[in-house]
Amino acid sequence: MALWFLAALLVLFVAGPLARLLLQASPASLGAAFRDRELFASIWLTALAATGATLLSLLLGVPLAYLLARVPFPGRRLVAGLVELPVVVPHPVAGIALLLFLGRQSAVGQALARVGLEVVNRVPGIVAGMLFVSAPIVVSAAREAFRAVDPRLERVARTLGDTGWHAFRRVTLPLAGRSVVAGAVLGWARSVSEFGSIVILTYNPKVASVLIYDRFTLFGLSAAVPAAVILLLLALVVFVVVQLLASDGAARR
Amino acid sequence: MIRLEDVAVRLGGFRLEQITIAVPPGGYGLVIGPTGSGKTTLLEAIAGHVPLEAGRVHLRGEDVSRTPPELRRVGFVYQQYLLFPHLTVGENIGYGIRNSEAGHRENRIRELAQMLGLVPLLGRGVNGLSGGEQQRVALARALAPRPSILLLDEPFAAVDPATRRVLRHQLRALHEREGVTTLQVTHDFEDAMRLGDVVAVLAQGRIAQAGAPEEVFRFPKSPFVAEFLGSGTVLRGRVERLTPESRGEGRFPGRFRSGALALEVVAEREGDVYAVLRPADLMVSRTPTAGPAPRNRFTARITQVERGSAVANIYLDVQGTALVAAVTTATSEELRLAAGEEISVAVKATAVHLI
Repeated sequence: MALWFLAALLVLFVAGPLARLLLQASPASLGAAFRDRELFASIWLTALAATGATLLSLLLGVPLAYLLARVPFPGRRLVAGLVELPVVVPHPVAGIALLLFLGRQSAVGQALARVGLEVVNRVPGIVAGMLFVSAPIVVSAAREAFRAVDPRLERVARTLGDTGWHAFRRVTLPLAGRSVVAGAVLGWARSVSEFGSIVILTYNPKVASVLIYDRFTLFGLSAAVPAAVILLLLALVVFVVVQLLASDGAARR
Repeated sequence: MIRLEDVAVRLGGFRLEQITIAVPPGGYGLVIGPTGSGKTTLLEAIAGHVPLEAGRVHLRGEDVSRTPPELRRVGFVYQQYLLFPHLTVGENIGYGIRNSEAGHRENRIRELAQMLGLVPLLGRGVNGLSGGEQQRVALARALAPRPSILLLDEPFAAVDPATRRVLRHQLRALHEREGVTTLQVTHDFEDAMRLGDVVAVLAQGRIAQAGAPEEVFRFPKSPFVAEFLGSGTVLRGRVERLTPESRGEGRFPGRFRSGALALEVVAEREGDVYAVLRPADLMVSRTPTAGPAPRNRFTARITQVERGSAVANIYLDVQGTALVAAVTTATSEELRLAAGEEISVAVKATAVHLI
């Protein structure tokens, strides 16, 4: 009985605030929020930047995940740990670290500026913050997905005439793909929810989380709630998609 | 043909060394060794999945030691089958067929499916197939691109004895029909005797002995090979010369002593040896009958009788030395052999194999 009670307390603690938030928004204020151009511009910016960060983390993270899962190399455990590190770094700390690394004072920032890529207070800064926090999610999901596929399946494909790349594309990717996509969707959602590092790197243009914070500090709770509700609904949609991907994947196995 | 020359492979803490094997074109070779003796690694080295540390691999007469796996034209069947779980049975079989000629692919899939009794399964997924079915799909998939070399890793290890007999028969028929040079690794000597033209015994990372299966079985060159193949009872002892005047080259009559047991033998050298006594060479009878001269005769006590469908193993105690004789089950019943009884045993001097 105590078991059920304790479990129910935590469920209530998670579900309660979210339900309360959904109920807080009046239909009128929600209607106004749907006509709020600034809000939708920021949601659009958030979605685009998150998509960019996710594509980047797939492009760079899938090869890394494959190496971590399949190829023993010196320092593999160190690299694996390093990639996971952003999970434990407080997000404003990550923002400051990125600012120092990519800002105009840094060698990297100057090199990027020379090819026309300004990071701080620009969209690339948003993408950088999102990439930093979402890459560990994408990499670890892909790594586990590749680990779950027997490497000898690729060997069989090779003896059947496939090159290494073809064997990967025809066997490993179809088998691991669903989990990689689920990881990417989670990474995208994590990007959308990022605030701490972005607020330091790029306050303007504002992503949705920064806009909500901005309205809360300037105009108070009632101004922030409708935008918060819309962002929460977006997150719920992503959550359902991930659950569907995961359960379908489990059913196939 | 498959020819390995002094191949060495290292994988983790494991090492294969000085592996030299030759399987003639269209031949059937077997590598037999205990579990964990490196048999799968050897096949993976031939297929190109594991780099060679030394030596050369020749397939079809060409040196492929540095050729990537996809260009070696080798079919590989793993012990665990490793069917592609996201494809149907038909798609698995057709995976390696490159010929884009219309209908060619479908015909080849159908042909192999018919030979192996897989036609009703072609459209099904591979989950839920029985072990024997998976085995046949893996075999068809490996043969579909018409490789000239087939590598089989313990193909019958995970199927029941009845299925094993059927598969062995199908494999032999397929081998003859497709003319594919085959190398199979197994821990089951029965496979070697029934299928192989050439057999190599692998022990501790090296080839302990290679040759025709019957020859390796009858004339093991080491106590390990004799014991592993179950050639017969292996006894450790000494040989002394019986005819001191005929000193010189070649074979001579001698006496082998192991514990209280003394046997007349035909030996090649004196001193410490191992003697292998094959069960079928021990002739048991109720009464000692007079026979041709160079026979060893002694009385033995039966400790156990193990009757099989065709052959009965008679476990014997000869003054403290344990021996095994094999007679037909019919004979064992006729002679009413039973534990605790004394019987007469005879063995020819020429039948005692000395190592």
